[in-house]
Amino acid sequence: MRFSPWLVVTVLILGPWTADGEAQTVRVVASLTDLKALTEAVGGELVEVDSLARGTQNIHDIDVRPSLMLKLRRADLFVRNGVGGDPWADPLLVGAHNTRIMPGNPGYVDASLGVAIIQPAGPIDRSRGDVHPEGDPHYTLDPANAAIVTANIVEGLKRVGPQHAALFDARRQEFLSRLDAGVARWQKNIEPLRGAKVVTYHETFNYLLRRFGLELGGVIEDRPGIPPSPAHLANLITTIKEQRIKVIAAEPYADQNIIELVARESGAKAIRLPSAVGGVKEADSYLALMENLVSALVRAFR
Amino acid sequence: MRAFALICLALGVVVAPLAAAADDAATLRNELEKMRQQFETVQQEYQKAIQSLSERLQRLEARPLTTSNRPVVAQLPPPGQTQVSQPRLQELARPRQPFALAQRSGAGQLLFDMGVAGDFVGNLVRPRADDLNVGTFAGRENRFFPREIELSLFGQIDPYARGEVRIETGEEFEDGVRKTEVGLAEAHITLLTLPYGLQLKLGQLRNRWGLLNQVHADGLPQIDRPNVLVRYFGEEQLVERGAELSWVPSLPFYLEALAGIFNGDNDTAFGRGSLKAPLVTGRLRTFLEFDDAGALQLGTSVASGETAERLRSTLVGLDAKYKLIPPGWRHPFITVAGEGVYARRQVNVSEDLNGDGTDDVFGTRTRNRLGFYTYAEVQPWRQWAFGLRYDQTQILLLPGKERAVEPYVTFMPSDFLKFRLAYKRTDRPHRDGFTDGALSARTADEFLLQAGFILGAHPAHPF
Repeated sequence: MRFSPWLVVTVLILGPWTADGEAQTVRVVASLTDLKALTEAVGGELVEVDSLARGTQNIHDIDVRPSLMLKLRRADLFVRNGVGGDPWADPLLVGAHNTRIMPGNPGYVDASLGVAIIQPAGPIDRSRGDVHPEGDPHYTLDPANAAIVTANIVEGLKRVGPQHAALFDARRQEFLSRLDAGVARWQKNIEPLRGAKVVTYHETFNYLLRRFGLELGGVIEDRPGIPPSPAHLANLITTIKEQRIKVIAAEPYADQNIIELVARESGAKAIRLPSAVGGVKEADSYLALMENLVSALVRAFR
Repeated sequence: MRAFALICLALGVVVAPLAAAADDAATLRNELEKMRQQFETVQQEYQKAIQSLSERLQRLEARPLTTSNRPVVAQLPPPGQTQVSQPRLQELARPRQPFALAQRSGAGQLLFDMGVAGDFVGNLVRPRADDLNVGTFAGRENRFFPREIELSLFGQIDPYARGEVRIETGEEFEDGVRKTEVGLAEAHITLLTLPYGLQLKLGQLRNRWGLLNQVHADGLPQIDRPNVLVRYFGEEQLVERGAELSWVPSLPFYLEALAGIFNGDNDTAFGRGSLKAPLVTGRLRTFLEFDDAGALQLGTSVASGETAERLRSTLVGLDAKYKLIPPGWRHPFITVAGEGVYARRQVNVSEDLNGDGTDDVFGTRTRNRLGFYTYAEVQPWRQWAFGLRYDQTQILLLPGKERAVEPYVTFMPSDFLKFRLAYKRTDRPHRDGFTDGALSARTADEFLLQAGFILGAHPAHPF
């Protein structure tokens, strides 16, 4: 039997890289930055967390890049948003060649399990645009859902790092206590706005508005994934004027020209709201994101 | 005296039990009283407890929202298990969208996804190219027709494997006849949980060879496949039956290695169609990210098998693709890609040596051929893209080469609908194969049109 010297050299070079060493920390990859932030909150120094999408990206348009597969290749745990919010994660999972984090294995967490998802009204087909048949996937923007989401994450962390189980639980409780304090403060601050209407670009902030007693007054992108028609914009501007809606809230990646047009014609104030952790520089954690969202809305209505 | 004694005795006999009965009644009353008191005590305790719970509930309801007092899903179902709900009768009776079942949860849920992709193309060419059947869509010149209508079914088979089936139809031109037939385009399983990060895909599949071989017609960057790929692999491209092993090592950079073994059924490039002399394929792919915006994919592929004449045919390819997505953009601004293929093929050399009217094989020769294409696309708006492709291909078994240039424009009203228009000019300096008597189609001008749609779920395309 002949041994190729090139094969030996290749094995010697690649061998050390291919061995997965005993890691003290749990390597987690989350599909979205909100889930990354929540995992960091309950994992602390016991986890190394990365995310596939960035906070400034539209989660519906993530490119299936091999570099993202590489992140998943090394992960012990994969936390995904589910509810159709990260469908691009499926080909990434297959391309990552990492058995541990495939669906059905201990390293796979669907953070949406147990969350009460806002369902689309009426029958669904593509005449309504790229709607999510499974429901509204932006559930992390309701701070009340953080308890369920972190419970799901902690269950996953315990499966892959059982030696840290007690610490994960303790960290989660500590995080939820801080979140409770924040929620009480935010509710107090936003209470004077209860019932006020907000127009958004995409239907990203439904959970946030519902939690804090605000109402959705209209949507610029009335059919998800399809630029709004001039007729729709004209109707929306009329609605904003008639109902005296004061604020238009848009994600960082929304079309600036259209937002400015609607704001100028309707007289409403346009603001940029981060749709995820990292959406703006200040929103660098989950608590900071919620703080930023609430304070931006309160400021906009002054 | 005696009588008095008898009366006293009789009275004693009568009164004594009465006195005892009176004592029993008093005891019973006492016990009843105690029980009543105990009952009242318990009742008061219960009332206090109920009142306490009611007050607590009212306090909880009155409290502002907190996350720690919300019910928590502490015990999750096993991974992969979803919550089940029974559908109501009116839900079952309601007319459904064609693919609504795929999204249902609970009873009636399909455990896989499905989608339909439709791709219609049309072309206008000069009469000479039509008569000689040498247009881009050979035999279907000056026609509008369904090129590829496919039904895809895909999903997880079990924790260990995924499955995918594609059934396809479209207008084809074969042996001088146009026909529309339904056939199996792909059917394969992928074993996901092999050791060492290996995956095995087996069945009938589009080989992962080069940039575009695995891309279906509706996902092509231009209306037609580049000439070099059609000349070297045929219109259907490399769709083989066999197995393909892939590996992504845990390296600091991305590297994917593929190795496959197949029948070699592709008539254009191989044709032996037997595992006795199998088609062997391989591919290496890496990926470089310069920053958040720009990324480059590099790949090299090889395929080696035997032709129907049992002669060796080997193809080697190099490919590159660069995509720039500026920060805040929802689509690529610039895409530049290209692919080169080197074909080395043994062919029989024949001539009618003995004058019997049939060619006699008297030796073999090796044909070395080279072809490439490159394209650049600019997408300044989400719905519009403009591009230009250049092809240069040495014809596989004939002398000479052909060059083609193809500017195109794409309009995408949504992610599920696409229209494309292109002009293609092809020059063939050599006359063999493109001239018949007085007819010559060495230069061909074509207008191409494409309309494509997607219904339901559709898997994301790779980078």
